[in-house]
Amino acid sequence: MSLIGIVATVWLGITGQLGLYIHPRYFAFSIIMAVVAAAVVIVSFALSPDDEHAGHDHEAETGHKRFWAGASSIVIAASAVALLVLPPTTLTTTTLEQRDLNGSAAALTEEESAKLTAGDASQFSVKDWASLLRQGAGVEFYAGKKAQLTGFVTPDQEDPENVFYVARFVVSHCVVDAQPVGVPVYRPGWQDAFPLDSWVGVSGGLTANPSVASSEGIVIIPEVVAAVDQPQQPYVY
Amino acid sequence: MLLTDTAAAEPGKAAQRGGERARGQRRGLMGLLLGLAVLALLAVLRMSAPQSVATGMSDSAKDFVTLAVSVLIESLPFVFLGIFLSVVVQVWLPDGFLLRHLPRRGVLRRFAVSLIGVLVPVCECGNVPLTRGLIIKGLTVAEAMTFLLAAPILNPITIITTYQAFGWENGILVSRIAGGFLIANLIGWIYSRHPRQEALLTSQFQAACASEGEHHTATGKLQRSVRLFTKETSAMMPALFIGCAIAGAIQVGIPRDVLVTLGTNPVWSVLALMVLAFVVSICSNVDAFFVLSFGATFLPGAIVAFLVFGPMIDIKMLVLMRTTFTTRTLVQITSVVALCSAALGLAVNYVA
Repeated sequence: MSLIGIVATVWLGITGQLGLYIHPRYFAFSIIMAVVAAAVVIVSFALSPDDEHAGHDHEAETGHKRFWAGASSIVIAASAVALLVLPPTTLTTTTLEQRDLNGSAAALTEEESAKLTAGDASQFSVKDWASLLRQGAGVEFYAGKKAQLTGFVTPDQEDPENVFYVARFVVSHCVVDAQPVGVPVYRPGWQDAFPLDSWVGVSGGLTANPSVASSEGIVIIPEVVAAVDQPQQPYVY
Repeated sequence: MLLTDTAAAEPGKAAQRGGERARGQRRGLMGLLLGLAVLALLAVLRMSAPQSVATGMSDSAKDFVTLAVSVLIESLPFVFLGIFLSVVVQVWLPDGFLLRHLPRRGVLRRFAVSLIGVLVPVCECGNVPLTRGLIIKGLTVAEAMTFLLAAPILNPITIITTYQAFGWENGILVSRIAGGFLIANLIGWIYSRHPRQEALLTSQFQAACASEGEHHTATGKLQRSVRLFTKETSAMMPALFIGCAIAGAIQVGIPRDVLVTLGTNPVWSVLALMVLAFVVSICSNVDAFFVLSFGATFLPGAIVAFLVFGPMIDIKMLVLMRTTFTTRTLVQITSVVALCSAALGLAVNYVA
């Protein structure tokens, strides 16, 4: 079982997909521990026969034991499927709905936003823009600034017809703590062009929201919305 | 007569022993090859798995797998580290080294034990194997529990991340450290009154403790380390895998809105965040950042309860601890820790 976990970790590491699950600062640690553990496990194969011999002498084969053997092979099979057969994926809108979009203060700290107001707007990420929007600056602030963003598509709950979010998950440790952030985009009829959860690149200026139903004050009025491939690093940190 | 007998027996025995060793070596080599073969097989399976398998799955099913795998990949290296430390404690530390350096009196001794966490900054999942090692090495069950509960909170990484997240605001940091320390020692004190400490442990683990003495035979320390590592991993891995799966399933299943709507009531907010801590099974080193996102909605007492309860008890931990302690013991610990954290949280809410 350790081997299943080890092989999965190392493979994700080599193919650069470890970022789908954990924060980059743990990459080295995970891989080193996995490699060391792999070495020990393989050596243990050379030793284990006589240990098992000693163990089996004491235990009678009972139905109870057979049940556990069956249960553990199910667990092994299930984990092999989850870790080794299924392709690694990102979280979807289903999870986003479970977690408050832009509700996280942790992802959007004050210190950073001070830096942001002075920064070069064309370089801003989804996270940066979301922090700025949270600050609640007026329309004048956004005048002349252009956003260029990549993220996945998720609908605005209040006005799903006209407004969608370019969203990303912010990961501070592993995917379990992923907090969604997003920037609203006003584009009536977006559903026809872009399916839910697909990745898009958006660029355009920010201005007051023309949608009546949506509670977002500022939105992007896109000049270009284009479908793009999912980036190598789908999460932001 | 006697002389000739032994003389005749000697070369025969030597040859037999030689043959046994050769067979042992061959078996060792076979084992090694078998191990490599399994590794290669798994690697091939991973590389050849088609991308299209998941197309039929619903989004929730996909998210469940992603979350469960994420918890697993995140905690696996820590569990390995914990097992390595446990092996070091069991095999490489001289007998009685640890016990000699601890104070002898019960209360002081548990104080000292709860501070061991400062020296070994593993987070909670790595602490379970280490605790097993400590019990085998002669720490009483009550003392080992004190360590298990205190170490995730009283460790440098946790303290630093909590400070980064909250600073000195509302006494969250102080309450977390003091609360964790007190609750761990309370549990230690309660169980030190227990007349039969070994009854708290599962029978499998008792057997492991008993067999510890036999292993002191001629086999080298390295070989014993490898054996122990295998034994510990095979005890821990099923628990870890199942724990991760449950944590993933519940995250997909329980809508967070329910928890968040409870957030502003002084009593309910405490309980809600404790349930959340139990459910998300997040690592104590970073839970401060996680809960920071609830800082706006929830009262400080609730956050303290989250930060104290979560590291000690959560789904993943309970499944891991079940490898060592009986269900009855775990139910008792969980209720005491939950009551204490709730009381602590409420106190902070009403004071702050």
